[in-house]
Amino acid sequence: MKVKVNRRSVDIFDGARARDAVLRYLVLRKMDVSLIRQAEFYDALGHPIGADSPLAEGQVIKVKNI
Amino acid sequence: MKKSVSVILCAILSVTALAQRAEVHIVSCNDVHAKIENMPRLAAIVDSLRAEYPGLLVLSAGDNRTGEPLNDMYDLPAYPMVALMNQIGFDATTLGNHEFDSGPAGLSRLIDLANFPHICANVFPEPKWGMHLRPYEIFDVNGISVAVIGAVEIGPAGIPDSHPDNCKGISFKPVQETLQQYFWLREKCNVVLLLTHIGYEADVELSKDVPWADLIVGGHSHTQIAGGEIHNGILITQNVNRLQRVTHITLTLENGKVVDKKAENIEVGTFPGENVACAQLLKFFSANPDFQRTLCELTAPLTSAEELGCLMAESFRVMGKADVGFVNAGGIRYSTHEAGPFTVADVLRLDPFGNDAVMLELTGEELKQMLLACNAADGYGFPKVSGIECELIRDKKDPTKLKDVRIIWPDGSKCDLKNKKKIYKVVTNSYAAAVSASPRKDQGHAMNYLTSQMIIDYLDGKGSVDFSGVCHLREATK
Repeated sequence: MKVKVNRRSVDIFDGARARDAVLRYLVLRKMDVSLIRQAEFYDALGHPIGADSPLAEGQVIKVKNI
Repeated sequence: MKKSVSVILCAILSVTALAQRAEVHIVSCNDVHAKIENMPRLAAIVDSLRAEYPGLLVLSAGDNRTGEPLNDMYDLPAYPMVALMNQIGFDATTLGNHEFDSGPAGLSRLIDLANFPHICANVFPEPKWGMHLRPYEIFDVNGISVAVIGAVEIGPAGIPDSHPDNCKGISFKPVQETLQQYFWLREKCNVVLLLTHIGYEADVELSKDVPWADLIVGGHSHTQIAGGEIHNGILITQNVNRLQRVTHITLTLENGKVVDKKAENIEVGTFPGENVACAQLLKFFSANPDFQRTLCELTAPLTSAEELGCLMAESFRVMGKADVGFVNAGGIRYSTHEAGPFTVADVLRLDPFGNDAVMLELTGEELKQMLLACNAADGYGFPKVSGIECELIRDKKDPTKLKDVRIIWPDGSKCDLKNKKKIYKVVTNSYAAAVSASPRKDQGHAMNYLTSQMIIDYLDGKGSVDFSGVCHLREATK
């Protein structure tokens, strides 16, 4: 499925969680995957969400503090 | 005399007006995911609010379980959470997608052991399961009737997000059309509350279709809402997962109608005080002897991460019914184990991350590229594999750099990388699937099967196991 992380399209497995999509985002941006430990996750409207939040096709999330 | 009569009449009218004004108080949580260590503090919060508001309703918007091995791997899986919720005095829960994780028979047993109803209007189990679900429940809160209607998300496959085997013998209906059937509760009750496990965005959408409801207590997306939000006139609440916060909702009614809705978050983790009985119950469940249960006997000691990684990869391959299994090297959390008993606790130390298994269908070339990508991103070495042998081809100038990998099948034949028609089933963990950003048609799907549970299921009852000296990686000689 395709989701968006910080406006970047990320292709990830069905059933992925916010953490999985952000891990893929970090790799695609050639950033250190260990940054996941300090990442803060938000939905499209800016609500904080958990790293374990389930994702659906087309969902938009934002990640900060990386 | 006339003045005295007026004063008395005014006083009577004021008393009547006061009598017609009432409040309903609710504490709600969602997506607790078996954060059992916070339950004694939640109990203390409920105790203190109940002392002030005797009619307090305590509700959960689902996903009470899955996320803590002490709960999920209990002899009767997820029973500790039910026992703790009984102790706290929950009034109701809806079903989250993870409530189905131990299958219909397991869920049915848990519902029978709960002192509170499980409310979910869009789930229809076959009678053989004896699952005592209710679509709604009407609570009498100090004379105010509060209807609570439950619903769980239905994914693209027509079932909640759980393993398909867990949903066999249960049918599901779409949330919105199901809830519309309960419009009649609006006429009957003072308050209509939708207890949903469909996610924040879906709750906002739902609010357009059910203007007759007063509030939606939601879950599933782990969205942290500051207090509550009003959408289309309906109060929506939800908290981030693992019981970091709960919501205290206050509904004010005049003449039996809701005229004001307020919600505030309460921090659970830092709440000063614990309920003693709940803390004792937690202590009992934390000392679970089942974690020391021997799954199998290791006939020889394991002396490297390679051997333990091969054990993990073999579990993924066998339990996932796949051609190939692999685990990222960083996902193996210890590198030695003495000969003798291998316990549930040993598995949970070996694979403590709560990773889900992911199934992919890949060509030989895609598999090779995925293994190389996993190696590059993980940073702890080449993944450990099962079902194949890998020859690592190093850069001649810099042998620390991996240049390529050659995949060899157990019969000794080389994997045909040009054959795009031959597809292999591959199982790995969700971390490896996420960080391996290689080109492939199939990104895979989560199996709703924890990799730690796969290892337990693979080893359980196997008798003796020998992975000593097992290694499926070798350096290429030419």
